Amino acid sequence: MRKITMRTALMEALNEEMERDDTTVLFGEDVGKFGGINAVTKGLYEKFGGTRVFDTPIAEPTIVAAAVGMAITGNARPIPELQFGDFVGIAFDEVFNKMGKWRFMHGGQMEMPVTLRLPIGIAGGAGPEHSQSPQALFMHGPGLQIVIPSTPYDAKGLLKTAIRDNNAVLFFEHKVLYDMKGEVPEEEYLIPFGKADIKKEGDDVTIIATALQVHTALEAAEELSAKGIEVEVVDPRTLAPLDMETILQSVKKTGRVLIVHEEPKTGGSGAEIAAQIQERALFDLSAPIKRLGSPDVPIAQSIYLEQFYTPSKEQIITAVDELMEY
Amino acid sequence: MAKTYEKEIKLNDYSKDVLTDFYKTMAKIRKFDENLIRLMQEGKVSGFYHSGIGSEGLSAGSIRQNLRDEDYIFYNHRGCNQKIAKGVPLSKIYGDFLGTIEGTTRGLGAGIVHSADPARGVLGQAGTIGSQLGISVGTAYTSKLTGTDQVTVVYFGDGAASREMLHGSLNWAGLYKLPVIYICENNEYAISCHVSETHAVKENIADWAEGYGIPNCVVDGNDVLLMHEVVKEAVERAKRGEGPTFIEAQTFRHRGHFEGDPYDYVDVEVLQGWKDKKDPIKNFAAKLMLEKIVSEEELESINAEIDSEIAEAIEKAESAPLPDPKRIYEGLFA
Ligand SMILES: Cc1ncc(C[n+]2csc(CCOP(=O)(O)OP(=O)(O)O)c2C)c(N)n1
Repeated sequence: MRKITMRTALMEALNEEMERDDTTVLFGEDVGKFGGINAVTKGLYEKFGGTRVFDTPIAEPTIVAAAVGMAITGNARPIPELQFGDFVGIAFDEVFNKMGKWRFMHGGQMEMPVTLRLPIGIAGGAGPEHSQSPQALFMHGPGLQIVIPSTPYDAKGLLKTAIRDNNAVLFFEHKVLYDMKGEVPEEEYLIPFGKADIKKEGDDVTIIATALQVHTALEAAEELSAKGIEVEVVDPRTLAPLDMETILQSVKKTGRVLIVHEEPKTGGSGAEIAAQIQERALFDLSAPIKRLGSPDVPIAQSIYLEQFYTPSKEQIITAVDELMEY
Repeated sequence: MAKTYEKEIKLNDYSKDVLTDFYKTMAKIRKFDENLIRLMQEGKVSGFYHSGIGSEGLSAGSIRQNLRDEDYIFYNHRGCNQKIAKGVPLSKIYGDFLGTIEGTTRGLGAGIVHSADPARGVLGQAGTIGSQLGISVGTAYTSKLTGTDQVTVVYFGDGAASREMLHGSLNWAGLYKLPVIYICENNEYAISCHVSETHAVKENIADWAEGYGIPNCVVDGNDVLLMHEVVKEAVERAKRGEGPTFIEAQTFRHRGHFEGDPYDYVDVEVLQGWKDKKDPIKNFAAKLMLEKIVSEEELESINAEIDSEIAEAIEKAESAPLPDPKRIYEGLFA
C-alpha cells in the first residue's frame, strides 16, 4: 500500500470533504494562499476560492465564535483552525461554553457541525504557550468530541468523519506527526468515533497511549518483546467518545495497565481512563494502574529541558517492568 | 482620522552623545540579531525566531532618552529590539536563547518572548501575541494607584492589533486615563497576510484609537529621531495625567516571519525598496556624517566596539552551564 505523511493524509481528507459538500468552509490564520503554517491546507484556497477558504485576522475567539454562528444556521459546515492548539485558551469560552453547549442549552433545536483543528505537542523549542496538549480539559466539557489521531490512516479517516458529523469536534494534531509516514489506501474510508484501535497485540501489559506516545509505546513494546514481555498497545483515537469496551477487554486479558500521554500527568486524560478502569474492572487488575505524563509544570522554552517533559521509551520500559513485578 | 506625525528636526538640537547613543543602540540591535541568526545556523539555538532587522529605529528612538528603568515596557515578538534598547544585558538575552543559566530565566530558556528583567521595567511577554495589550493596562493602572509617574509602553504588531484584546485595552486606558503608550509596529504583514487583508480601518490602525478618544498618529517608524520625538510627547502627556496615546509606527521587516520562511508573499521590489531607501541605520549614519557630527572613522570604531561587546556577551552566555534538569521544578510558586 502507498505510504503518505499525516500532513498529506489530512490534506486529502480536507480536499475530499470540501469537494463532496459545498457547505464546508475553512478558515484561520494563514490557511489560505500560504497554505497554513503547517502546510496542511495548501492548495485549498486555489481550488475552492476565497469565500470558502479564507485567512482571518488574528482573533481566536472570533474564529471559533464565527464557526459556531455559521454552524447553527444549518447552512454551513465550518472547519476552522487555530494556529496552535494552545490558543484554545484564548477562545475558551467559545469552545467550552458555546460550541459544546449551544445545542443543549437551546433544547436541541440546532446542530453544531464544527471541526476545530488544533495542532499540539512539544515540537522543538516552541515554549510554554506553543507546545501544550490541552485535550483533557475538554473531557470535562460536555458536548465536545475529542479526536486525537496517531497515524496518517487514522488522521484521514477520522477527519472525514469529523467533518460529516453534526456535532462539535476538537481535532488535535500532534505537530511531530505531520511528517510521519504510514499506509493509507487510495480508496475512500471513514473511521467511526469511539472505536479504539489495537496497534499491537500482547498478553502481559496493556499500554493505552495517544498521539506521538503511541509510537514511543510501540518502540518500547519492541524492546520489551525481545525480553519476553508482550505488551498490548491500545490507541483510543477519540477521547470523547471513549471506547471503554476495547480498553476493558484488553485489561481483562493482561491485568496490568500503563497509560501514557504527553499531557501533564495530573488531570490528564489518563486520570479519567484510570478511574473508569478501576470503577468497572478493579478485580481484573493484578497491579495498580500506572500513568506516565509530562511533569505538572509549564513547558520550558529551552530545547535542552524540553526532553525531560515527553515520556520516553526508557520510562515506559521501566514502568512496564515494575508492573510485571506484581 | 489619524494624522501623520511630522516635526522639523535639527540634529543640532541634540548633543553628540545622544545622537551616538541612538546610532549605537540601533547598530547593537542589528548585530545582536545577525549573530543570533548565525548561532541558529550553527544549530546552537532553536529556529523559533522572528528577526527584527529593519525596524531598529522604532525601538531605539522610542525607548532611548525617553524611558527610565522604572518605566515599563512590554516588548513584542519581533527581534530583541526593545529589550536591548531598554538595557537588558546582551549576555542574558543570548543566555535565554542558548538555555544556559546566564539567561534571565536562569536556564529555563525564553526564546524571543519570555525574557524578563523587572529591575529594568521589562516584565515579560506572552507567547500569544497581543496578550500584552491587556496586561499593560494593569501596570499602567498600578502607576495611578500608587501615585508614581511611571509610564507603560506596549509594543505589538499590526497582526496582534487584530486581537479582540486591543479594544478592551483601549477602552480601559481611555476610561481611566491610564499612562500607557501603544506602539503598533506596523510592518504591513502578519506572517503571510497583508494588513489590508485582515483589518477593517478607515485608513490606518491608529484610527481605531480615535473612537476611544485616545490621541493617535501615524509615524515613520524607521526615522529614529521622529520616533523619539513622538514618544517623548506621549510620555510627557502620560506623566501629566492626561492618559494614553496610540502611535502607529510604519516599518518593514527585512527577513521572513521566521527563519526559513520563503518570504515569497512579499513583492520583491517593495522589499528591496525598504532595504535600499528606508534602512533606519544606514539613513541615520548617512545623516550624521553629512552634517559632520561623526566621521566615518568614529562610526567604524563604534561598530568595532559593539562587535567585541557582542562577542563577549556570546562567550559569557555560551560558557555558562545548562541548568540541572530539576530546574523545571523550581519557581512555579513564590
Ligand atoms: C494569539 C496568537 N495568535 C497567533 C499567533 C501566531 N503568530 C505569531 S506571530 C504572528 C503574526 C504576527 O504579526 P504581527 O503582529 O503583525 O507582527 P510581526 O510578526 O509582523 O512583527 C502570528 C499569527 C500567536 N503567537 N498568538
